[in-house]
Amino acid sequence: MKKMSKGLLVTFLAATLLAGCGSNNGGNAGNAAGDNTSSGSGSASAKSVTLKMFIAQTRFKEQYDNYIAEFVKKEKADKNIDVSVQLEMPTADNASQILKTRLASNDAPDIFAIHAVNEIPSYYKAGYLEDLTSQPFVGKLLDSVKPSVTTTDGKVVALPLETLSWGYLYNKKIFTEQGLTPPTTLTEMKTVIGKLKAKNITPFVLSYKESWIPQLVLPLAVGGMMKTEDPEFVNKMNKDEGSFSEMKSAIFDVFDLINENGTAKATEVGGDDGAAAFAAGKGAMWLMGPWYAETILKSNPDLDFGVAPLPINDNPEATLINLSASTSLAVSPTSKNKEVALDFLNYVLDDQASNGLFQAMKFNPVSTVHTYESYPWITEATTYVKAGKSVQDPAIPQSVKDEVGKGLQAYYAGQMSQDDVLKALDKAWKSYNKVNK
Amino acid sequence: MPVKSYKHIVSLLAFVAPAFIIYLLFLLIPTIGGMYYSFTDWNGLNRNYSFIGLGNFIEALREDPDFVHSLLFTLKYVLFMIVLQNIFALVLAVFIETKTRTKGFFRTIFFMPNMISTIISAFMWTFVFSQVLPQIAEKTAMSFLDQLWIGDPKVSFYSIIIVSLWNGVGYMMIIYLAALQGVPQSLKEAAVIDGASPFQTFRKVTLPMITHAVTICFFLTLNGAFKVFEVVYGLTGGGPGRSTQVITMNIYEEAFSNNFRYGYASAKSVILFVIILIFTFIQIGVMKRKEVEA
Repeated sequence: MKKMSKGLLVTFLAATLLAGCGSNNGGNAGNAAGDNTSSGSGSASAKSVTLKMFIAQTRFKEQYDNYIAEFVKKEKADKNIDVSVQLEMPTADNASQILKTRLASNDAPDIFAIHAVNEIPSYYKAGYLEDLTSQPFVGKLLDSVKPSVTTTDGKVVALPLETLSWGYLYNKKIFTEQGLTPPTTLTEMKTVIGKLKAKNITPFVLSYKESWIPQLVLPLAVGGMMKTEDPEFVNKMNKDEGSFSEMKSAIFDVFDLINENGTAKATEVGGDDGAAAFAAGKGAMWLMGPWYAETILKSNPDLDFGVAPLPINDNPEATLINLSASTSLAVSPTSKNKEVALDFLNYVLDDQASNGLFQAMKFNPVSTVHTYESYPWITEATTYVKAGKSVQDPAIPQSVKDEVGKGLQAYYAGQMSQDDVLKALDKAWKSYNKVNK
Repeated sequence: MPVKSYKHIVSLLAFVAPAFIIYLLFLLIPTIGGMYYSFTDWNGLNRNYSFIGLGNFIEALREDPDFVHSLLFTLKYVLFMIVLQNIFALVLAVFIETKTRTKGFFRTIFFMPNMISTIISAFMWTFVFSQVLPQIAEKTAMSFLDQLWIGDPKVSFYSIIIVSLWNGVGYMMIIYLAALQGVPQSLKEAAVIDGASPFQTFRKVTLPMITHAVTICFFLTLNGAFKVFEVVYGLTGGGPGRSTQVITMNIYEEAFSNNFRYGYASAKSVILFVIILIFTFIQIGVMKRKEVEA
């Protein structure tokens, strides 16, 4: 009998444990239901709305919180809606995993941040992005920014926050001392390298430990070629008709030149070490974008550096700054509070408030309403852009970019020939087409 | 009697249930789900996907040279690790066992690296390989130290082995130490009286008596070496190119950084699972037969 009762007791305990889990769920469901009713009926005068946002930029939490607070005030004043915002900020590493799970399980946040160039195509295809073309903010976007958030069928589906304009970085102090200016053709580049070497200055800092760094040469080369000789390259590749052998000299002429005149042990130097080396003046140039500015200035606050377009051949027209966008805000088509969500997006590019937000987060201007003074290197890149010396980041699939990084690393280590790398790229793009048909 | 056995089953179930339910929810069901996805072309995002049978498995083994390369590289790593890790651990254990006074000290010292997480030790060694060794080479003129330890694919394999051993030997050593302490002193003394040399005593008496520990250590090394990830990730990131890419890394890359082919990556994981299963069965089967009782 005693044993029996013990057994029963344990079963009971196990059952309570399970019931505990169960009742938790029940509780959540109840809460959710409560939210709905409150937003449905609310008080007679003010409508209340809970807006869920998903922005994986923990470092800007304060800026977003402030901006959202202002938005809440404005929404209350303009439309008499009580908005409460749930801002979710996971770490960038697993953010896209979490977001995907949420979207796939029909639990989409009203507003979420995605990577413009890498993620928009697949998310748009899966039907997770609301068409924003008719929103007022679209008219305020700079023409140089708009293409990166526009789908292939011409719809604007996101609002760009972070944009990049880059080529390579050069040490202005070394360039001025040697009386050099950023070269516009490959031949001029060779002259510059010759002059630097004559003074015992290593022309390039190499940092190929992380495969995304050698990868940078691909968007620059393909961008330059697409604006000059090969405008249909990406379309051809998407139809399985092109081949990277068209890009052979564009990629490898300049890549070889950089490698022959760079610092040693490149496969052991990562991005941060590279930034330290560049900041210490160990090389006059670095194939890298201005997104490393903060790291560079941290190790040498006095360094004067600039952004210049990388020449890929002897046509100065192909020497271009690359323009692209990364973090962008999108609205879920299943959102129940779409109106408020769209209001927020428009408020991000508000005529008055927007300047403060973008300046606080140190983002580049993306809109005509942005009039603040940006960093000297960004201003320098912008002068190239204004002179028409820029190209939209070519829509190369992420898997191909990963492949080119690995391929160029192996090429640098002497394990792959140029043709091997190009063949691997063709294969990667073909398999991308196969998977995403 | 039947009533009693019924009660026995009920109480067994009651005790096992909490752990089993959690195991079922968080391990078994996801595992089976993963196996199911390995037969589909799901990309982790789309709502609909199609069932493609064995297509993923055929592609992985036939048309994916990177996967096959990573598989062979992992096998090479497993082989080196099984042999070296167990030899080093056993030798250390035997030496430490002979010390009476300083036993605790040496045991702690050699076990210490195991307490540092693998990824951190990988980063520490990255620093040693890329900064410390070249500096030493410069100061002492031992020029063989100044080379690309992790940037050159020919050398980086051995760098990975060094770090893995540094990190893993201590744990095996503790298991061997425990086993060595279980060998009856009387047997060893009898062997010495019969005129056996120390080496003969070790081979004919000690080793057979610790076979159960050898089985465990081989099992752990085999299992762990197949699933190696952090060391390679921290040291070389699989690079340069894919020259040091291990199988887990290839799977990770397929699922999370290339085309997000979850289905295909699941298929690769199932292949890895089957390989580990087969190897472990063979290893346990062979070694169990050799064990003896004291």
